[in-house]
Amino acid sequence: MNLKYRILSIAACAVLLSAGLAVGQTAPPAQGAPASDTPAPPADAQPAPPAPAPDAPPPELKTLDQEVQGLKKDVVDLNKDLFVLQEELLFPANTQVALYISMDVGTFFALDSVTVKIDNKEVKNYLYTAREADALLKGGVQQIYLGNLKVGKHELVAFFTGKGPVERDYKRGATINFDKGVGAKYLELKITDRVPKHQPEFMIKDWE
Amino acid sequence: MQGVIHRLRPFFLGGLLLALPLAAVQAKNAKPDPNGLAPHQVQDLAYGDVLFYFFEDDYFDSITRLLAARQLGRLPHTEEEAELLLGGLYLSLGEHVEAGRIFEALLKKNTSEFVRNRAWFYLGKVWYQRGYLDESERALRQVSDKIDPRINAERYMMLAQLMMRQGRYDDAITALSNWKGAPDWTAYAQFNLGVALVRRGRLQEAIGYLDRVGTMQTRSEELLALKDKANLALGFALLQGQRAAEARPILQRVRLEGPYSSKALLGVGWADAGVGEFKRALVPWLELRKRSMLDSAVQESFLTVPYAYVQLSAFGQAAEFYNTAIQSFDNELKQIDDSIEGIRTGKLLDRLLSDDKKDTLTWYWQLSNLPNAPESRYLYALLASNEFQEGLKNYRELNFMSRNLDDWRDDVSAYDDMLDTRQEAYNRRVPKADAVLAATDLDGLTQKRVDFESRINEIEKSNDVAALGTPQEQETWARLKNIEDYLAAHPNDPDLAEMREKHRLMKGVMYWRLSESFKARLWNERRSVKELEAELKETQKRAVLVRQARVGTPLTTGGYASRVAAIRARLDQLHDRLADVSERQNEFLQSLAIRELEGQKQRIETYEVQARYELAAIYDRTSNGPAKAAPKATPNDAPAAQDDAPATPPATPPATPPQAKP
Repeated sequence: MNLKYRILSIAACAVLLSAGLAVGQTAPPAQGAPASDTPAPPADAQPAPPAPAPDAPPPELKTLDQEVQGLKKDVVDLNKDLFVLQEELLFPANTQVALYISMDVGTFFALDSVTVKIDNKEVKNYLYTAREADALLKGGVQQIYLGNLKVGKHELVAFFTGKGPVERDYKRGATINFDKGVGAKYLELKITDRVPKHQPEFMIKDWE
Repeated sequence: MQGVIHRLRPFFLGGLLLALPLAAVQAKNAKPDPNGLAPHQVQDLAYGDVLFYFFEDDYFDSITRLLAARQLGRLPHTEEEAELLLGGLYLSLGEHVEAGRIFEALLKKNTSEFVRNRAWFYLGKVWYQRGYLDESERALRQVSDKIDPRINAERYMMLAQLMMRQGRYDDAITALSNWKGAPDWTAYAQFNLGVALVRRGRLQEAIGYLDRVGTMQTRSEELLALKDKANLALGFALLQGQRAAEARPILQRVRLEGPYSSKALLGVGWADAGVGEFKRALVPWLELRKRSMLDSAVQESFLTVPYAYVQLSAFGQAAEFYNTAIQSFDNELKQIDDSIEGIRTGKLLDRLLSDDKKDTLTWYWQLSNLPNAPESRYLYALLASNEFQEGLKNYRELNFMSRNLDDWRDDVSAYDDMLDTRQEAYNRRVPKADAVLAATDLDGLTQKRVDFESRINEIEKSNDVAALGTPQEQETWARLKNIEDYLAAHPNDPDLAEMREKHRLMKGVMYWRLSESFKARLWNERRSVKELEAELKETQKRAVLVRQARVGTPLTTGGYASRVAAIRARLDQLHDRLADVSERQNEFLQSLAIRELEGQKQRIETYEVQARYELAAIYDRTSNGPAKAAPKATPNDAPAAQDDAPATPPATPPATPPQAKP
């Protein structure tokens, strides 16, 4: 086997193989040499032999990958248990009150901030990033406040600030009087479009 | 082809996940908004909360909240959607086994074909990416053809590639031969078909497919790269098939500024050499020598240039170039050795992740910038490989989780303090509560209320109007009663007649007054009784609560304390496991990097041995027969003397054939 054909066959095999699997590969992180990581076949291979699963991960990767998977699942489960414990410990059901905010369509209002007062005491003042406002527009519902309240009658006032129709500054409020019973109380601050009037509408829904 | 997106987000999982909640929502609304967002109704607040984090690309928080909401029974209306989302979120964390379990369970139910197809597709794609080829094929074959054509095209392409990865070229050829799709996907299909045919030694059939891709008209950068690859593959296949003359124009189609230009230049040189045009071959090979030594084609050019000079009998120049090659290879080997040493310090991954935003986990994360480290330049290809990227993603996620657990550790310590404080407050309050409870005779008070009510009933029944009079009225009434008794004791005393008349009058007035206000007073008394009853009931309730709290608080606090203790143990254990697996992941990726560098080193060493051997052969030739030695020539005049020289192989290669990697 001469130099020419040795080099040539190596290059040809490598080029073909790496090119053949190009579709399934991800882009390199930066510009660099397009060297193949494919093992070279024997020098005198004619024609190029089929390579057995050349791009398949080595067995040790699979084993480690499976171990990592199990570990990650355990961490996720632990996070869930910690989350539940935290809520039960800090916000027991008999005193828990949770406030959520949702946006339905949002054509007439772009949310900037929300201020919430319960029994005339400010409990939350939240400024929205574009990403968070976008998450609300897509259908996400944000838990804006989680706290504790005594059983009995309470008043909640929410102020919404943002851009209204034709990009004008817009501030509106909504109020609700509610009874806190022995169970957890869920309230939803809803921003919806009042299409006939081309105006946003702000409501507070009491989830029984 | 939306290649950029496909490559940046290898698993376009968002398509699946986004489609589900919104699809369910849109179905309920007859008139979607013209701007594209349909009005929707929140069915479960907790699910909306999960989606909020999901739409923010914060999948870790999203999955945590979803699992918590499911455990707390807060997803009564969105159970199925949530389960599918959970599968997708597991997939995003690389938890394909768990995701697969969820999908398979879910897809057995009466799930829509739309959802079923997408779930199987993305599952198949993740398995493919992770190298679980059998599982991937099984999942991809579950997808029906009634799916978005682009997804279907990608699915077919993945199946074909999967077969090729398994060496099943005939299966891949069959699958790809009958496939038709959009022009961009068709180009990929034809390319892969061409490669599979070459692999099976059916070069003549492959030429048509690869040539079609290699001559397609496109402005897309991705397709231009594919075009280059097709030309390169075809060119080298023809070279390999001893068809050098045909290979040259094909290889010349490869863009000079593209990532494949070095290999193409190498090939063009070989094509020229293949037809004995060694002087012409020197043009691309000398051009190659000016490029970075990192490229295997450039490394090869350090051997091919002197080889061409040998063919042209310009032995002096050949020796010179071999000497330069040996020196360059030496330098490169030293740099690789330094890089290997650098990697062995264990900081490669941390350096790679030094600019990483560490606060969230997203499934499409990829390394975007390489650190300016000596080893980076040798590792471009490795760092771009799925194997390394997935391993690096794992390492990054393990680090994220480790930080997450550290944060929780602080919180858990605070819970301990809080529970201690609660216990302390309880211990302080219990004696006071006990004292109050002991001093309060609730039964006695209840009996008193009963007696009082009986007395009111009696007063009403006997119409005892004086009983409800004011103290002054009652005093007056008592005095009138005494006078009445005195008058009764002296019935015949004539001096008392006037007094008797006065008494009768006063008593009548008094009685009238008392009778007049009796009903109102009776109503007031009854109201007081009712109020008393309510207050007593409230007091009894509070007393019960206090007694319950007295007994229950230690149990509750103790219960929480046990849970906190158990969770702390899990935290510690997982923290240790994370550290261990993270270290092993680091070592594994490090070993991949070292293996890659060792491979490069071995290849260069092989080239160096080759260069030394060829150099020795030249010296041998010149010293043994001066008549045979070529005169020392300049690079420009040497080929001219040997323009017609046939392409003869160089001297016999060294005994140990090199196992080089291009």
